[in-house]
Amino acid sequence: MTRFVSPARETATAAPRHDAARVATGIRLRALRMVAPQGFGYLGQALCSAESLAVLYAELFRPGVDRFVCSPGHYIVAAYAVAAEVGLLDPEELSSYGQNGSCLEAIGTERSPAVDLTCGSLAQGLSGGVGFACSDRLRGRAEGPDAPRTFVLCSDGELEEGQLWEAALFAAHHRLGRLVVLLDANNSQVDGPVDGITTLEPIAEKWAAHGWHVADVDGHDLDALRRAYADALSDDRPSVIVARTSTRHGLDCLPPDADGHFIKLPPDLANRAFAELETRYA
Amino acid sequence: MRELPYPTVQKPYGRALLELARRRDDVVCLSGDLTRQCEVDLFRDELPDRFVHAGMAEANMIGMAGAMAREGLNPFVHTFGVFATRRPLDQIVNAVAYPNLPVRLIGFMPGISSPGGPSHQAIEDVALMRALPNMTVIDVADAVEIDQVVPLIADHPGPVYLRLKRGEIPVIFDDDRRLSLDEAHVISSGDDVAIFTNGMLLSASLAAASVLERHGVHAAVVNVPVIKPLDVDTVVGVARAARAVVTAENHTIIGGLGSAVAETLAEAGLGRTLRRVGVRDTFAEGALTSPYLFGRYGLSTQDVIDAAWNALDHSGEPPAAPVAKVEAGEYSPV
Repeated sequence: MTRFVSPARETATAAPRHDAARVATGIRLRALRMVAPQGFGYLGQALCSAESLAVLYAELFRPGVDRFVCSPGHYIVAAYAVAAEVGLLDPEELSSYGQNGSCLEAIGTERSPAVDLTCGSLAQGLSGGVGFACSDRLRGRAEGPDAPRTFVLCSDGELEEGQLWEAALFAAHHRLGRLVVLLDANNSQVDGPVDGITTLEPIAEKWAAHGWHVADVDGHDLDALRRAYADALSDDRPSVIVARTSTRHGLDCLPPDADGHFIKLPPDLANRAFAELETRYA
Repeated sequence: MRELPYPTVQKPYGRALLELARRRDDVVCLSGDLTRQCEVDLFRDELPDRFVHAGMAEANMIGMAGAMAREGLNPFVHTFGVFATRRPLDQIVNAVAYPNLPVRLIGFMPGISSPGGPSHQAIEDVALMRALPNMTVIDVADAVEIDQVVPLIADHPGPVYLRLKRGEIPVIFDDDRRLSLDEAHVISSGDDVAIFTNGMLLSASLAAASVLERHGVHAAVVNVPVIKPLDVDTVVGVARAARAVVTAENHTIIGGLGSAVAETLAEAGLGRTLRRVGVRDTFAEGALTSPYLFGRYGLSTQDVIDAAWNALDHSGEPPAAPVAKVEAGEYSPV
């Protein structure tokens, strides 16, 4: 296997502008197209993170300069979808998602396009993000408007792993201010609702106590997310945006008891989902 | 080759890494709160801008090192062998070995060289690292090899696990020793028994071979610092010329050098009686000194002699190893 090395960081240019609301719908629709052929899959991860990723990629992310880490590899479907939506990945490739021999594996791997780092073994991504931010400092390129930013998508379930807090402590101690964690708090993990398995609250206070700048917002509210990103990018501490989300958001036809970690999509439900999202995306 | 007792030096690794980093600005040093113990206080004091103190957080340290390697840096990661391998194993798999990144994991205090008990005794680190695709696994024997292994691994394109004795380091080889990451080192030849060894068991194996020679047993001694990828040609060639094979390592006999040699001989279809000297599938214990543990857990010169004697099916008592006399600042095997 060829080792992946991040490209040389380019001079920052303004992020390409897209309509974040439409991108969010596009993420849901493209994720549905990837998952539906198998009849089940990680659709909920795209439904919950759609607005957070839409604002980031439609308005802020500078390809070739900034980095994107998708810590929970199960969310890679959303990363593929948003990359296709903003022109960073050929939409044609999405049809190979999860197929034998495809680079677009259903749980992110070294072969995954569109991300700087991802990992199926959970809660390791923030350490990688911290390593990227630390590398910028070691290389003397952590200051100024052209300096790379590192965005790390984490999930609330990952907060159960100790490594994540090791990384959080390190980042705060070293004031890695160009590091932004997008914490998708969807209250969903394999065995059920996160809060029925481990009490993580108060999540925001935990991060604040570790020395992070914290925003705690409705993760489906575009304006709230925009304000949270703006505050994060102007703070000299590492920042976390706790995005309160639902694994069923933006797809009204899903039954209320759908298992958000691994949504089942029998053909009739898939057809209703396509109809709903294609109408909205049109 | 020097003669027993060997002189010792302090901090050969720390000096070699600092020397390397003076020449190469891609070298960065990570420490998991064992900075002086891993000899990288020398690095920290001279090159603080390239020294990253990760704290007692090995999982995060490995993850950061992987990302740094992706960014073109050459991270050397330092802690004790147990905390460098068994504790963050999944992180090494996912952040280093699978992406095949040039991260150098430096694990000090190998095997039962620590009297600190099973929590501090890396008896299975070689087995764990050898099982990982892409990983190169090295156990060097003396200060001369340490001095040479540092620049060698800095140029290696993939990940490396290097285990290193802590504290006083013997000087066994002369300056003309040329360490290779590709070739095992045939120190002496002999047609009775082939002894494959490395690291802290090299000196015991050399001492054993010299006793055996005086009792009519001709032993080949092969120093195998690189356990993976193993120099299969040398192992098979030397073993083929002998009637029996002994391996000697400061590690459990499962999964390390002894296993690697056994697999190699079996795949070559070479039937030779094999005896493995090492920790025999048991946890050791805490003690005052490591020489006590080397004796108690079968890693002594006498154990190597006995293994060779037994493998050759010689009758009678095996010859006795000399009692090591060591002055301060000297090193002799148990």
